Amino acid sequence: MREPSSHDGPGSESSADLTFDIVVVGAGHAGCEAAAAAARMGLSTALLTVKLDDTAKMSCNPAIGGIAKGHMVRELDALGGVMARVTDRAGIQFKTLNRGRGPAVWSPRAQCDKARYSVEMATLLESVPNLTRVSGVANHVCLERGRVAALELADGRRLACRACVITPGTFLNGLIHIGDTQVPGGRIGEHAARALSECLAELGLERGRLKTGTPPRLHRDTIDWDAMQPQPGDDPPQPLSHWTERLEVDQVLCWLTATNARTHAVIRDNLARSPLYSGQIRGTGPRYCPSLEDKVVKFPERESHRVFIEPEGRDAPEIYVNGVSTSMPAEVQLEFIRTMQGLERAEMIRPGYAVEYDFVLPHQLTHALEVKGARGLYLAGQICGTSGYEEAAVQGFMAGVNAALGLKGRPPLVLGRDQAYIGVLIDDLVTREHREPYRMFTSAAEHRLLLRADNADERLAAIGADLGLLNAAQAERVRAKYESIEREERGGTSGVATWSAEWRESFEVRARYRGYIERQRRMAERARSLEDVVLPDALWSGELGGMSHEALEKLRRWRPTTVGQASRIAGVSPSDVTVLLVHAKRHAGLAGATT
Amino acid sequence: MTLDDTIAAIATAPGAAGLAVVRVSGRDAVAIAERVVPRAALAAAPSHTLHHAWAIADSTARAGGSRGDASGATGHARENEARASDACEDETLDEVVVALFRAPRSYTREDVVEISCHGGALPARRVLDALLAAGARLAGPGEFTLRAFLNGRLDLAQAEAVADLIHAETDRARSLALAQLSGALSRRIAAIEERVTDALAEIEARVDFAEDVGGIEVPEHVVRGLSAVADELSDMLAGAAYGRAVREGVRVPLVGRPNAGKSSLFNALVGEARAIVASEPGTTRDRVSEAVEIAGVRVTLSDTAGLRDPGDAIEAEGVARAREALRGAQAIVWVVDGSRPLGAADFALAGEFAGAAVTLALNKSDLPRAADVERLRAAANGHAPRVVPVSATAGTGIDDLRRALGEALGAGGAEGAALAVGNARHAEALSEARRALDRATQAARELAPGEIVALELREALHALGAVTGRAVAEDVLDRIFGRFCVGK
Repeated sequence: MREPSSHDGPGSESSADLTFDIVVVGAGHAGCEAAAAAARMGLSTALLTVKLDDTAKMSCNPAIGGIAKGHMVRELDALGGVMARVTDRAGIQFKTLNRGRGPAVWSPRAQCDKARYSVEMATLLESVPNLTRVSGVANHVCLERGRVAALELADGRRLACRACVITPGTFLNGLIHIGDTQVPGGRIGEHAARALSECLAELGLERGRLKTGTPPRLHRDTIDWDAMQPQPGDDPPQPLSHWTERLEVDQVLCWLTATNARTHAVIRDNLARSPLYSGQIRGTGPRYCPSLEDKVVKFPERESHRVFIEPEGRDAPEIYVNGVSTSMPAEVQLEFIRTMQGLERAEMIRPGYAVEYDFVLPHQLTHALEVKGARGLYLAGQICGTSGYEEAAVQGFMAGVNAALGLKGRPPLVLGRDQAYIGVLIDDLVTREHREPYRMFTSAAEHRLLLRADNADERLAAIGADLGLLNAAQAERVRAKYESIEREERGGTSGVATWSAEWRESFEVRARYRGYIERQRRMAERARSLEDVVLPDALWSGELGGMSHEALEKLRRWRPTTVGQASRIAGVSPSDVTVLLVHAKRHAGLAGATT
Repeated sequence: MTLDDTIAAIATAPGAAGLAVVRVSGRDAVAIAERVVPRAALAAAPSHTLHHAWAIADSTARAGGSRGDASGATGHARENEARASDACEDETLDEVVVALFRAPRSYTREDVVEISCHGGALPARRVLDALLAAGARLAGPGEFTLRAFLNGRLDLAQAEAVADLIHAETDRARSLALAQLSGALSRRIAAIEERVTDALAEIEARVDFAEDVGGIEVPEHVVRGLSAVADELSDMLAGAAYGRAVREGVRVPLVGRPNAGKSSLFNALVGEARAIVASEPGTTRDRVSEAVEIAGVRVTLSDTAGLRDPGDAIEAEGVARAREALRGAQAIVWVVDGSRPLGAADFALAGEFAGAAVTLALNKSDLPRAADVERLRAAANGHAPRVVPVSATAGTGIDDLRRALGEALGAGGAEGAALAVGNARHAEALSEARRALDRATQAARELAPGEIVALELREALHALGAVTGRAVAEDVLDRIFGRFCVGK
């Protein structure tokens, strides 16, 4: 990595101009993956961020992975992404969730030292060739003849490029709410990217508004640890990355406490002061990550909610209070925090807050995450309507890879729903309607038993190697692993006893769930037959009788490229799909007749 | 196939009748009909109105319409032309009543005009010719229903019911088809889908939100709920046999040893019943097969008569014949001479009953009973036959026998016929769903992981969706968020 060779400061247009193949806007979890992938694929890449120190910041909870998210991190790692490797270096507690359930939903998660995570990511990026860090604020994407030509910065500099990946997170026209106080910004104390949002609107992109929230941070020294229940990590800890040989970590504890009747009373007494309930916030928040206000109002019968107390670092003073995301005024936050066992004397370092931000309705993107009608312009992360570090990272990676593939004249990488959670995520994004931030769940994957954390390498490492993001040794390791397992399954004697824990786990899972996995595979094949019926784009401009008005409107808007995609669009009924099949057949017939 | 043009056909069955209806459907239905019944002034008329008018052969129409049709229907065009040229200019064809149904409140959800002509083949035929000359295309078989389906007016189950209704041969078959057409079956299955989806949400919540929801994998109340759904499907499937009998008719052989009185019983059943079709061709030799209606089912009774050869081979031969008659029979009538002690020949048959529902006619009830009924029951092991004393010669007990046979076919069960699943495709889908539910409850009881139980439930939902044509697009997450407080 090299620093920009010249930096003449604001206003000096000519001398500061730089030329890249790809510019990535934003160095969050999406941006870092995008930049690393594109640069490692040999494209000269710039990673633009406001402050160079702000790399891969964990703005909310101090963990990577978790149910379904951990699966995606493993997949990303098998493809050659960087998140899992950085997590293994910054992790301070490792735990596989759902161990009591079947192996398909075992999900690795690591509590991280937030500051360390940023440093480790920055260090890793340093080592990537073709990658340049640029400090600045993106204002405007310039298109020429429908193709990305340059990115203009707020200080007037212009970065010429052929492709651009935009990953602004909550900064896109962000607005922070604490009580009735409103401050523009994407994170507390930081700026908001207004011009960029306007630029996207000028490109004709339809935007929406979403909301997310974060809980207050408490000071480590003001917590009564003995009054809470300790939550240890796994022993021994398992790394997230396939490529981490050894994980030596002195694990820290998390802790469990709970809300109670007094906590709920404080919330109820102060509801009018919550911007969520005063009508001040317009954006839609995630139902799966409700604010404490929502929990108390929507589930009045629940007398208590669990609250996890998580350190933000090995030595950091900040303690994350997982489960009490809120936008109440700071004094109310402190009041309800102190009703909980162990937190009676707690002091806040920072209050929780809600943030509203713009996103681009993702049906305007292709499965490559490229904006339809703007060649070379890719979006990833919260701008596409998702929430979560992992969801952002995998999109960033896919956008970076596809930007690079596009410039190399190669077809885009699109993963199937039966191939990876990443495929499910992107397909859901671009073919369905979204009213709240999208988070991955295992139940979103209809072929869940095939998409396990233990076989991510089997599913995806060959692709990573083909992209040049895994080296030959890594690809060979995966090949050898599954060759040994299959030989053993055929009754061979490759010596299970000598295998690593990881190999043994894969082997045992396959043996134990063979029947179900086989059935799931057949179901996936059945689904594929529908998936493979291609809908020509010309179909949407022609006459399409026989469909409900709603279905027709949706189909014309989404323009799905296969019948399978069409069938997943809300409002498109199976009878609409039947009609669509008829039209597709007719269309194919007509096309055949004219040639 | 296309939905772009306007179709027409005679909608009533051929043959002598008081009225014949010609139906027109499509984008230009009103304009085309207007040219045939100009005085009905359809263009300005509101929907769902009746108009008295005279149908005429429009002199300006010629063989217009379908001539320019590029879809290769030149055959139609030529035919239309020929018919149209037969008609004189502005010739009056018939006095008619015109019914107008504007889209979407019509059978096909398109503009529909129905022209009621006088009965007999000719008037309707000439009105149809005039419509074809005015630009309509002759509808293919089932094309109106196809349009109703494609336009979302009917779901798959309902569209199938239309075909059943048209082909119904008994009143019961007709009401079964009507119930299905009204969406009763679809609604009932939708209610079942709801319950399965609820159970799925409970399980998924525990998989995806382990830390929030916690608790055991599949709670007991969910397992109980799923068992209840499986039981309901079993009930529906029990009714399915009857539904299928109603829809497709059944063959019921009368079996029994020689001289048990099969033939006279056959005659008694046929003689008293209203025969709804003539003897089947090719089986008239000994008048051994006759169709009657019993409990709404078209029952083809067959007598395994003709075994009169005296000799040692009688028993063996009787069993061989019976075996053939029994092959694939859904129900049988086992005729036993109650006035004689039971012999080996009586029992020899019982082993051949396979899966058939057995009705035992204890014949010659006018004579003192010598047969041991309990031994007969035991012989028909597992078939729990209904035992009905009858006397074919005295004509007593015949109604009882008919009622018992109806019950053996499944009529009169709790399901009644109103919601019976008459269609083989539906029955297959429902039993697939039931099997998946059985596997799900089994897995849950064995404490299998939640995602395995969920896999079975998704398969069940997939199978149920095959009946209504509705996919498993239901958003399970909506239910989870509605019921559980989840998330960090």
